[in-house]
Order: sequence, then structure tokens, then C-alpha cells
Amino acid sequence: MLVITCPVCGVEGEEADFHCGGEGHIARPATENPDGISDDAQRDYMFMRKNPKGVHFERWRCDRGCGKWFHACRDTVSMQIFGYYGITQRPPAALLKKADPLWQAHFEAAKKPSAKKAKS
Amino acid sequence: MSEALIITPLYDREAPGGLAIIMTEVVDLGMIDLRGLPKDKKFMDAAKAALGIALPTAPRTSAGMGDIVCLWMSPDQWLITCPRKAVGGLLAKLNASLEGIFSLAVDMSDARTIIRLEGDRVRETLMKGSSIDFTQSGYEAGTVRRMLFGEIAAMVHVVSEKPDVFHLMVFRSYAHHAWDWIEATAMKGSEVEFLSSAEAPPVV
Ligand SMILES: [Zn+2]
Repeated sequence: MLVITCPVCGVEGEEADFHCGGEGHIARPATENPDGISDDAQRDYMFMRKNPKGVHFERWRCDRGCGKWFHACRDTVSMQIFGYYGITQRPPAALLKKADPLWQAHFEAAKKPSAKKAKS
Repeated sequence: MSEALIITPLYDREAPGGLAIIMTEVVDLGMIDLRGLPKDKKFMDAAKAALGIALPTAPRTSAGMGDIVCLWMSPDQWLITCPRKAVGGLLAKLNASLEGIFSLAVDMSDARTIIRLEGDRVRETLMKGSSIDFTQSGYEAGTVRRMLFGEIAAMVHVVSEKPDVFHLMVFRSYAHHAWDWIEATAMKGSEVEFLSSAEAPPVV
């Protein structure tokens, strides 16, 4: 069983007290560029997920507590949660270091000036 | 003019005999949902001016003075309870005070129903329907807790202790579900004796 602590209101609960909102940090291309979205970009946004076997960043909601969204860093194998951070924040360096290499590549790519800034 | 008739969600329910707690529907409390930003000093001051109480900002707490009680629901949301007949006046006062400030105050009196639970077995009964240990510290009088209760969204307000009085708030459409759940789990004979000092049965 997953035991989660809400970083917003501090409440501790089991999985059913929260709601998983899937993978975090998915930027919606149409937000930046509503007219020129390629089919590939829209497909990636809709369907393509990292789905790593390892340490992952997810969005969770404190469903039966304060109702707020937050990010959690969870190992998809062991279910261990390593930490939380705000819904508008990037993962702290310590958590990013722990995360699956897919995530390091994700934020490396977002840093490049050519890439559109990923909004969470 | 004809008088508006208020039919509460549980008007057709009465607690049966043989319960370990006393349960009744609270019919005379109105509720106002108030939203605003706690960091906005103007909002906090305006709310205080209208309510006569500062909004509680610590999670799961409440603040009350006389008839008006403010329950913390979220960092930017409060549920104000007051006598049902005073809702209109209080809401007008709030809206006047909050004029021009990023906020929202709405009469939600008919969105939820409040079930009043009283007695030494209340904590134990509620624990049968949720993942929360109400015997822990942190559930003293004044505490507010939103939770999953009997598979539905609910909120509990510890009104007083010794004897325990809890208000369980559920959405109107779940009123009968919540009522029936408590009726069944509060039956005398269904106590789990978790809170008693009775000795554990021998291991055979
Ligand atoms: Zn929370």
C-alpha cells in the first residue's frame, strides 16, 4: 500500500485518499503555439509517456484533504516515494539525480534555447 | 405570500433504538463557501471584518465565535457555518466587504447535510469507515478533517469533547448512504472494543 503525505496540508493517507494524475511535466504544445501544431507534436503530447521502470515524477492530488495538486517522486518498482514538490515547480536537484535517465534527458532538452520552455 | 419550506435531506430518517451513539441530522445550520487567497491581506481583513473572526490558516483547524464558525477546507477555502436564517444577512455582509477583492462567497447550505454524532463510541464508529485513527492526538475539539468515509467524500468537525460531539458533513446526494452506514456500524454489539481496556482474548 502506498502511504502518501500531502506537501501542501501535511495530511498523511493511503492511496485511496489521493488521486494520481499521471506523469508530471507534460507540456501542451498548443498552449505555446495554437496555430502550428504538427501531428507528431500533438500525438506525443496525447499519448507518448516515459513510463520508466524506476524513479518517476508524477502528479498527485490531495483528493480527500485539501484538494490541491502536487508532484511526487516515486519508484515504480518498489513504490517508495522519495519526495514531493510544488505543482508549478521543477524537481529539486537531489530528486532529479535519483530519477530515471529519461527524466534527466527531459529537463536537459527543456534547457536548450531552441526548445520551448516546458510548463508544468 | 407562502412560506418557503425547507426539506432537509434526511427528513425521513430517524435513528433506531439500540445504537451505541446518538445520531441526529442538524437542520438549523447554514453553510457559506468562501474562497480567497490567504496571502492577500485585503482579503483576510475584509473577511474578518464581515465575520468577526479571523479565518484560520493552519490546516485542519477551525475558528468560532458565537453562532459563526469558520472551518478550514483548503489553503484557499473555508466553510462558514451559521444559523440557517442568518445566511442571507451574513452573505450580503461578506459580499459587501469583499467587493473588488479576488474572492468568492456562495450560499452552499443545501449542498451538504450535517449529521451530528454524540457519545463515547463516535470515534470508533467513524474509524470503521475511514483510514483515519481518530484516537491519535490531532483530533481534539475544533479539528476539521476532510476524508474518504464509507467510500464517499466527507468532512468531519470535532465540535466538542467529553462527551464527543462530531459533525459529519457529506454531500446531500450521499446523505442516506452516510446515514445508513453509520446506523449499521454503530449498532450495539458491533463495537470493536478497540478503545476499551478489555484484555485480549487468549491465543489458542
Ligand atoms: Zn493536502
